[in-house]
Amino acid sequence: MKPAPFEYFAPQTVDECLSLLAEYGEDAKVLAGGQSLVPMLALRLANPEQLLDINGIGELSGVRRENGSLVLGATTRHVTLERDPEIASAVPLLARVAPHIGHFQIRNRGTIGGSLAHADPAAELPGVARLLDAELDVDGPRGHRRIPVADFFETVFTTTLEADELLTGIRIPLWDPRAGFAVEQVTRRHGDFALVGAMAAVEVSDGRVTRAALCLTGVDAVPVRREEMEQSLIGATAADLDLPGLGAQAVADLSPSNDVHASSAYRKQVGAHLASRALAHAIHEATRGVK
Amino acid sequence: MSPTKIDVELVVNGQPRRATVEARKTLADTLREDLGLTGTHLACEHGVCGACTVLVDGAAVRSCLMFAVQAAQSTVTTVEGLSSSAGDLSPVQRAFRECHGLQCGFCTPGFIVSVTAFLEENPDPTDEEIRAGISGNLCRCTGYQGIVRAVKRAAELRAPEDSEGVTA
Amino acid sequence: MTTPALQDGHRPTGAARWIGKSVQRSEDRRLVTGRGQYVDDLNLPGMVHAHFVRSSVARGTITNLDVAEARELPGVLAVFTAAEINSPDHVFWQTMMGPDASYPPGRVLADGDVRYVGEPVAVIVAESRYLAEDAAELVELDIDPLAPVLDMVAALSEESDVVHPERPSNLSGEARADIPGLDERLDQAPHTFTETFRQHRYLCVPMETRGIVSTWDPWQEKLEITLSCQSVHETRLFYARMLGIPEIDIHVVMGDVGGSFGQKMFPEKEEHAVVIASRLIGGRPVKWIEDRAENLISGGHSREECLTMTVAVDDDGVLLAAKGHQIEDVGAFPRPGDGMAGGSALAMFPGPYRWSGPGSVGYLAQGAFTNTCGRTAYRGPWMMETTAREQMVDVVARKLGIDPLEMRRRNIISVADMPFTTPMQLQFDTVSPAETLEQAAELIGYDEFRKQQEKARTDGRLLGIGLSTYVEPQFGFGILATEATTVRIEPSGKVNVYTSTGSHGQSLETTLAQIVADELGVAFDDVRIIQGDSARTPYGAGTGGSRSGAIASGAAHAAAATMREKVLAIGAHLLEASVDDVEMSDGVISVRGVAGAAVPLAQVAAVAYLNTDAMPPGVTPGLEVSERYKAPLFMFSNATHAVTVEVDRATGQVEILRYVVSEDCGNMINPMVVEGQIAGGVVQAVGGVFYEHLVYDEDGNPTATTFMDYLLPTATEAPDLEYGHVITPSNTPGGYKGLGEGGAICAPAALLNAVRDALAPLGVSISEQPLSPDRVLRLINDAQASSRWR
Repeated sequence: MKPAPFEYFAPQTVDECLSLLAEYGEDAKVLAGGQSLVPMLALRLANPEQLLDINGIGELSGVRRENGSLVLGATTRHVTLERDPEIASAVPLLARVAPHIGHFQIRNRGTIGGSLAHADPAAELPGVARLLDAELDVDGPRGHRRIPVADFFETVFTTTLEADELLTGIRIPLWDPRAGFAVEQVTRRHGDFALVGAMAAVEVSDGRVTRAALCLTGVDAVPVRREEMEQSLIGATAADLDLPGLGAQAVADLSPSNDVHASSAYRKQVGAHLASRALAHAIHEATRGVK
Repeated sequence: MSPTKIDVELVVNGQPRRATVEARKTLADTLREDLGLTGTHLACEHGVCGACTVLVDGAAVRSCLMFAVQAAQSTVTTVEGLSSSAGDLSPVQRAFRECHGLQCGFCTPGFIVSVTAFLEENPDPTDEEIRAGISGNLCRCTGYQGIVRAVKRAAELRAPEDSEGVTA
Repeated sequence: MTTPALQDGHRPTGAARWIGKSVQRSEDRRLVTGRGQYVDDLNLPGMVHAHFVRSSVARGTITNLDVAEARELPGVLAVFTAAEINSPDHVFWQTMMGPDASYPPGRVLADGDVRYVGEPVAVIVAESRYLAEDAAELVELDIDPLAPVLDMVAALSEESDVVHPERPSNLSGEARADIPGLDERLDQAPHTFTETFRQHRYLCVPMETRGIVSTWDPWQEKLEITLSCQSVHETRLFYARMLGIPEIDIHVVMGDVGGSFGQKMFPEKEEHAVVIASRLIGGRPVKWIEDRAENLISGGHSREECLTMTVAVDDDGVLLAAKGHQIEDVGAFPRPGDGMAGGSALAMFPGPYRWSGPGSVGYLAQGAFTNTCGRTAYRGPWMMETTAREQMVDVVARKLGIDPLEMRRRNIISVADMPFTTPMQLQFDTVSPAETLEQAAELIGYDEFRKQQEKARTDGRLLGIGLSTYVEPQFGFGILATEATTVRIEPSGKVNVYTSTGSHGQSLETTLAQIVADELGVAFDDVRIIQGDSARTPYGAGTGGSRSGAIASGAAHAAAATMREKVLAIGAHLLEASVDDVEMSDGVISVRGVAGAAVPLAQVAAVAYLNTDAMPPGVTPGLEVSERYKAPLFMFSNATHAVTVEVDRATGQVEILRYVVSEDCGNMINPMVVEGQIAGGVVQAVGGVFYEHLVYDEDGNPTATTFMDYLLPTATEAPDLEYGHVITPSNTPGGYKGLGEGGAICAPAALLNAVRDALAPLGVSISEQPLSPDRVLRLINDAQASSRWR
């Protein structure tokens, strides 16, 4: 199980990388953590002619706060999400979800940029990005653009990144420090991709929901936000919510795929269950003010 | 057209080494074939089983998912580098032997390197943390019973002194 | 973990310092330091690498196979197809089965047609595996597909297409115990029940895939093979027959082997192709290492079968009579023989229950060819008899309103029943099923659990407990009847033991050394075990079938005992004492009760080899003894497994709460090794029942072809095992019995019964596996929500 031959480049700057992308376009693939890409090369499911290793580009690493958002460089490793106290305090959901990503050996190499660009609908980080209305910083020959996450994931393993563009960073707007968050997943084994998952973020004030977000993974070709339902929760009494009903509502219009691991019916039924659990836990956390 | 080869210099188990390899040659294959370190094993080559785990700059990684060229100028530790130069077993190696943490031995180097890194970060793990911590390594012979015991025992053996014989 | 209390069984003639102790393994030092020598670690001068082009169609006609462009790729030495590799002179029969058994058609590479996805069609030999895989992409292979035969039941019908045109049907073989009058007996019984149990396809998956290095020396005309296998002698004998080479000119070595579980017991198409390719190339070692995708797709498959059981019971749940009809999916090219384990399943089907004497149990086993990867042995290949029987006991118990533990108590045999003749005419001499049942029930706290379960049900929680109890055979026929050991003491006094075993994780370097050290009277560290080399070790079947602990130990005991006699005779002579007054311990022969009257073994060796005039009269010089031990035709061990689970009714996930095994394998050479073997089998069963599934789609394509889709249990899915030991020694030297396969044989039924028990209030019926969350949730959804449990 050996990869096909490729030309290897290790650009040291974003500009260098962009020149290479401009030259090689679709024949080239960007290598970040390699935890998703290299298996595909080994199985010869992907056969790029050029491999652009971006691990040496200093501009792509680093974490900072800026204008009410947490800005993460694209090559920020999962292990950093897991351990960095700055990230834990700014976006607690990232720190909470990171231990679910594979295993620690994978987290030592895998990157947030790689995970988002790979766009696996069962993955955690695309779900978090979608839940928190992230923006993706993208550089290319046509200049810099900032893509709202709602416009980023197109379908399974496909984003709106052009072949000559590079994802350079992720901006996550910060929530109120008293907000509650939850991640609920069903995985076959510890560390696996989820069969189906639900993530929630809720702010509660005087017993009423003032802000809510719910995102489901593994139920469609992309992570799915439930904006209408979220809106309907605003002003509602947190303690009076019909959580099972909300869970059912969250999946009502969905047609998840079938595969060897779970059927469409399973994903839908369990998705509802997880959605109501996620809301319940997020509300509980927001109400108690406990992190 | 003969394939382009790249010179890679790196430090392996404390020794400066070099290999001249195609870009597509994995770190695992390079360690095994070019550097004669066959202790790192291949059991899946697609990043799931953990048998190929080595330390790169102190971090446990799947060496089948890295190309040798990516490890240029890095410090790599394989299972062969964990025992002392006098041949004394490291605490983790001793613990695996004491607790019957291996039968056929094929997955063992990957476990021992992973556990070495795991205990560095988490020197006093709970049973649950141990099982989650080693869930990235597959074993088919032991049913994990002896391995979980070995991790607990290794934590004990590491506790009173510095981790001698462990190069990170 | 409970520490077993050991019973004194058959004591060796020396002091028992090592046998019975959990001695740390001799193997470990090299394995924990990464200095094991597995076949892929061999890096020889001039070595080249093989890779296979395989069919991606399950059944079809090859219309085009063009390897010209692949041959031209720089770095490629050769590309061989059936034209170069296959020969009508090749014979494919295995020693264990003999030339007259039923076999699928034999061919190395596909020739004109393909019969399963993954069937090798061409072999490429190149300077590196990377290059060989590049060359594979240049091979043109066109196949006209035909509708594949994929269902084992349909395969046996008259209308089915035939997998092998050379055969009249898809029946690979049959084993039967036809009992006249049995049907009437079943009909006339107070209660008769019939259930069909299906088992899915799951696989051995050793962590080390298959692999071989083969070198043909064209000048000496000798074949040198290093192979990941279970038996070097079988491999050697096989290739001697297949290729017409004298056995003495073939040398087969197995170094360290990374597990096998039956998959590597016999060399297969790829190994044949590599050996033949190495002869065609001549003078260069040809290495092939199976990659994981190949191992999952075409390394040999197992477990896919169904068994319809009809059982007659009386009002008290006493088992009166039964009939089983088993169909095994043996794939296209199974091994060994016709790929069936049904003959063994037939023999063991009655299990540890009394029944009502001879003629009360009948059986029919059939093997069905399909256009899938051929069947290989997997740890207890006949285990479906236990999987079905033990589930049937629970199903019937529930229908009669009897607790499954109580039902077993009413039927199970005990030590007091020995000797016991089963309905299949096997004689049990030293099994203890009832004793293990009681011990397992006590250890798991059966009655207490029932109370907890009741309480949990009122909270809407689904807890369950499952039992499974069985008898495990070790077979001693044909090549399996004997094992041999040669003990040779070096001039230094060190003891070398050459054995016919082929340990691949079974710790034989340790356990056999324990036996020899005790039997001979030397230090454990002075004993070295040598196995797995056809030039150095005695002829034998290798390791598999739970035989080594029971049978190889017999040979080790015998050789060591004979050597001890010889050494004491020489030692007594040197000490001018009577042979009855001397003893040996830690390699020192001394006169009992006389201080200072002692000689070290090295001195005895020196006399035996170098100063032979000083030998006692009548004792031959030298210190080398060979013994071949003949095992009984059958030996039996037994165990009971008990497991508790909780089923999450919202997600269908099953959590294993506790897992208890009460095992009787007679005396234990090394309790740590015994428990390790049980644990490995149990966790493989957890994998099989809940996670592992090699799925074929309707076109005959395997769809779980990597570890991302074929899910092996990790440490978080493995339960914490608890062990109890019952010790009923066997009647063989040492009193040991084999047990290596038991965990995998007995556990699935226990796990299935536990989930069945948990879901019982919902009226759920379970007859299929795996119990994925999807399937469990569907069962819960579909079931009636009424309680039938009293």
